Amino acid sequence: MSVVRAAVVAAGQSDHGRRFDVSMAEIAREAIDRCLGSRGLGFSDVDAVVAGNMEMFEGIYLVDQLFVGALGALGKPLYKLNTGGTVGASAALACYHLVASGRHRRVLGVGFQKQSEGSTQSAITTVGDPVWERAVMAGAIGNFAAMASTYIAESGVSMEQAAKVAVKARRNACLNPHAHLKLPDITVEQVLESEMLAYPIHRLDFCPSSDGACAIVVAAEDLAGGLCEHPAWVHAVATAHDQQYMGDSPKRLAVMRSLQAAAKKAYGLAGIEDPRRDFDVAEIYEPASYAELAMCENLGICAMGQGGALIDQGVTLIDGPLPVNPSGGVLSTNPVGATAMIRVAEAAMQVMGEAGEHQIPDVKRALATGYGGNAWTDIMILARERPRPDAQVSA
Amino acid sequence: MVASDTWIVGLGEARSALARDDVSITELAWEAVAPALVDAGVGLGEVEGAVTASQDFWDGRTISSMSVNEVVGGTLGSEAKVAADGVLGLGYALARIEDRDQRLNLVLAHAKESQGDAHTIELAAFDPYFERQLGPDESVLAAFEAQLLYARGVFGAGDAARVVAAARARSRVLEAVSVDQVLGSALTASPLRVLDRAPLMDCASALVVCDGDRARGLGRDRVRLVAGASVTGAYWSQREVLADGGGAAAAAADALAVAGWGFSELDVVEINASYAYQHLLVGAALGLGEGEALVARFEGDEDGGVSVNASGGWLAGSAGSVAGLHAVVGVCERLAGRGGRALVHATTGLAGQSHHVVLLEVAG
Repeated sequence: MSVVRAAVVAAGQSDHGRRFDVSMAEIAREAIDRCLGSRGLGFSDVDAVVAGNMEMFEGIYLVDQLFVGALGALGKPLYKLNTGGTVGASAALACYHLVASGRHRRVLGVGFQKQSEGSTQSAITTVGDPVWERAVMAGAIGNFAAMASTYIAESGVSMEQAAKVAVKARRNACLNPHAHLKLPDITVEQVLESEMLAYPIHRLDFCPSSDGACAIVVAAEDLAGGLCEHPAWVHAVATAHDQQYMGDSPKRLAVMRSLQAAAKKAYGLAGIEDPRRDFDVAEIYEPASYAELAMCENLGICAMGQGGALIDQGVTLIDGPLPVNPSGGVLSTNPVGATAMIRVAEAAMQVMGEAGEHQIPDVKRALATGYGGNAWTDIMILARERPRPDAQVSA
Repeated sequence: MVASDTWIVGLGEARSALARDDVSITELAWEAVAPALVDAGVGLGEVEGAVTASQDFWDGRTISSMSVNEVVGGTLGSEAKVAADGVLGLGYALARIEDRDQRLNLVLAHAKESQGDAHTIELAAFDPYFERQLGPDESVLAAFEAQLLYARGVFGAGDAARVVAAARARSRVLEAVSVDQVLGSALTASPLRVLDRAPLMDCASALVVCDGDRARGLGRDRVRLVAGASVTGAYWSQREVLADGGGAAAAAADALAVAGWGFSELDVVEINASYAYQHLLVGAALGLGEGEALVARFEGDEDGGVSVNASGGWLAGSAGSVAGLHAVVGVCERLAGRGGRALVHATTGLAGQSHHVVLLEVAG
């Protein structure tokens, strides 16, 4: 049980895309200023900063130290995390722990990445074992291609069903002022006709490479209500990983052990019995179209093997029974250091009722996930209702 | 905020050396984790969460903790990584325990610096457009800072050399060196010489940390982690704040305020920085003395006062990310049986930009 109940009380994002008009520090600051400014806060109101960035992507070692001024961390504790695709969610979880422990009362989380200034795929290739893996599974695309092939074989999902996810994401993105890839007229046929990057992943099945930043403020319970009319209370945080070598955990997309484990922990903490019924919206970290379907299965949103049917039935559309990624998701915006924090921020915005044109009506409970190397999975569950004082929140 | 009821119940370290070519990063980490678990009397399956500390650039890969998370209980379990000294990781673990959900955490810091090229890595910490073309690395930046410190006329290169000699005399893994050897070693960036800097090492340190109830249940409530604090300083080019040690003093003051201790109540102070002159800078900022009196403290000539770097600290053999946690292990071992209060200081960043502090109380 937490000592102090904690809530996300503010969220801000930069405009995502190929941002040649700003530096890394400036794009981080764009998100921070929008986040803090939305509540009339300044750096002096922040007790500690948690920064998420994958520094090898831009090739800047100790990037948090270089940008200490832009991050507002001068004279304060600065926790720099770089945990891969999850890093923004890992940073959000750290914000939660630092507040829930009573150590700090207002913590600023910042995730940022400017992929146009580096070679992301080169850096991601280094997650593989240099002898056994790097030559055959370079970058994120190769990894997801292998996983998607397995997923197709195991579940029978079709390329058309995956393409529907890609279409959904880019159309939803048109309602999100911050999103990178907005394609209002995209069709399933266009996805299937787009360049094959690595079988079965077409170019439009995969996430873009974005420049962008996201910031959130997590506050203690005695401050939250004064900062925000409807704070997004943290009801559960959970993390799980799989093994280092992909061969040690076969069928990684078909059977996502870490996602199942993290979901089991988080759902238990938050009292989620039927995720499709109990959540009003979900922001899922889906770098590839296939991943969203597999993740919905492994999160219990549908039965295993029914991911394809889920999209066919329109369950996860923005006007469906459980909208998934109304923001456009990772498929529309992917500044890696910020991407998982965007999931948390978007879930919080939905709970706070501040998601603008992609607001889902009457959101009471939202799910956010992060995903990355070692099948690293972070989950955060946010709700409009305050958790019980004695509730256990993290696992 | 009040003093923490968090305890260090297990210690473990890998065999450190200039190069551990016989092991992978994963194996090196396990060398530290395995004895820590045995020391605590717990199995890997009982670890509820882990925090690791390492740097991607030094490990030559992104998500450097992927190499170790299966040996810290991360497979289907919870692990998070800070890119900083392990003392900041310990501070994060403290928060994860204090919120009363993850009652037993494993903290691991690891580095295999023999695999990296220091100049190439450190060059990448500088602004890519305006600074890298000049070819700077940490030695150049440290030299700027040392020049500022020495220009005040209180300390000089000879004082820093005495700090190195004192540290190396206490080292378990590095050969002793004399003051003359330090002053006669090759110039890297004026006024600094090769032996002014801690050598690159391969090492790993691990702690098992838990809340009071669990520690007492394990019968291991001997070392209390009372408080932690961290302060980040300005980027190196802001010369007016370079070389003032203010971040270290502020972090120490924050931690002492939480503990409700006075600085004079400390029995042990361990300062960890990669260059000898930084020890003088931080020591002075902490109020350990000035001039000859401070240098003498590093040589162990204190007259019944606080013990300063009795382990030799980073200069006696450790690595970036690991040095602070290594010092925590050393303090726990040294105070076992006789008890005492300790402050362990550590740094992250070029020229010690970030300062991290933890306070320990060891039962007698």
